[in-house]
Amino acid sequence: MRIHLRDFGQILGSRPAGREAALAMRAYLKPAKDETIELDFEGVLSVGPSWLDEVLSALRRDYGKTRVVVLPTTNASVIESLKILDEG
Amino acid sequence: MKTRTRAAILAFIREHRSARPIELVRFLRISAQAVHRHLRSMTASGELERIGAGPKTRYTKAGAPDFSAALHWFSARQAPENPGESWCDSRDSFAARLPRLARITQTLQPNDAALLISIAGELGNNAFDHNLGSWKDVPGCWFEAQATGGKVWLCVADRGQGIFSSLARAHPEIRDGRTALSTAFEKRVSGRAPEQRGNGLKYVRGLILQSPGRGIACRSGDETLAYGELGARCLEEVAPIPGDLPGTIITVVWSLP
Repeated sequence: MRIHLRDFGQILGSRPAGREAALAMRAYLKPAKDETIELDFEGVLSVGPSWLDEVLSALRRDYGKTRVVVLPTTNASVIESLKILDEG
Repeated sequence: MKTRTRAAILAFIREHRSARPIELVRFLRISAQAVHRHLRSMTASGELERIGAGPKTRYTKAGAPDFSAALHWFSARQAPENPGESWCDSRDSFAARLPRLARITQTLQPNDAALLISIAGELGNNAFDHNLGSWKDVPGCWFEAQATGGKVWLCVADRGQGIFSSLARAHPEIRDGRTALSTAFEKRVSGRAPEQRGNGLKYVRGLILQSPGRGIACRSGDETLAYGELGARCLEEVAPIPGDLPGTIITVVWSLP
């Protein structure tokens, strides 16, 4: 199933906002067993590593790292945020 | 005479960072019409830049930001009352100001805008994350963005506990302000241990170092630190502040392609 992050705002920056977004996602996400969760950043202006860390950590905790997939994007803020999170 | 007047205008602006026409009339003791004539001509020739409109119009040296209001707010012994719209008293008011940066960055390539907004977001949110319950007097941060001379400038400041105090609480092995600043920008540690944090400033530093024409300077306590090709230029903006002040002030510059 696919989550359109633009539904959470154009600028996704702070940890508290990321935590809120993760809570909202978990409330309505009902993936089938082994179904992947795709994060689609189309239409989002900017993402910060703090926001993304909160969302990815929460989803990966619930569904495992391999089932949570960030869809390919040209948005440099998503690419750079992922890069620094993956270094950790 | 004309050259001498122009030189005097530039000297005044260098010293005060910006000038209102009325200030120049008083300083130069010439007519308002003559001052406006010089200002128009110097703006047309690219020496000066006009900021604002009506009675709030100020002139600055082209290519240089005017962060005098930020410096005043940051360095005042007591937080000034009604400091203006650049002061964000809560995380929500800071978040509400970020889209304005999106308007300033409209002339940037979409990816430059995305990165610059994420930098501002990390810096502003840090001010709240690390100072909750530890503000010197007023909560919140100062957030200002200016576009001038082909560059976007950011200034984020807070009257909080400072980076050394924030980090030393969780990491007693950090014993001085200098180490605290470089640790904050270069290592993965956080003043909010045991929470897993500490990415924000590393992310910002990495983006600044990615390309020429970018810079960042940070002043916290009496320590300063700068990164990037234009880091030293950013440092000039926070250098005039006297003494050992609590809180943190950061300036960023990002050249337009």
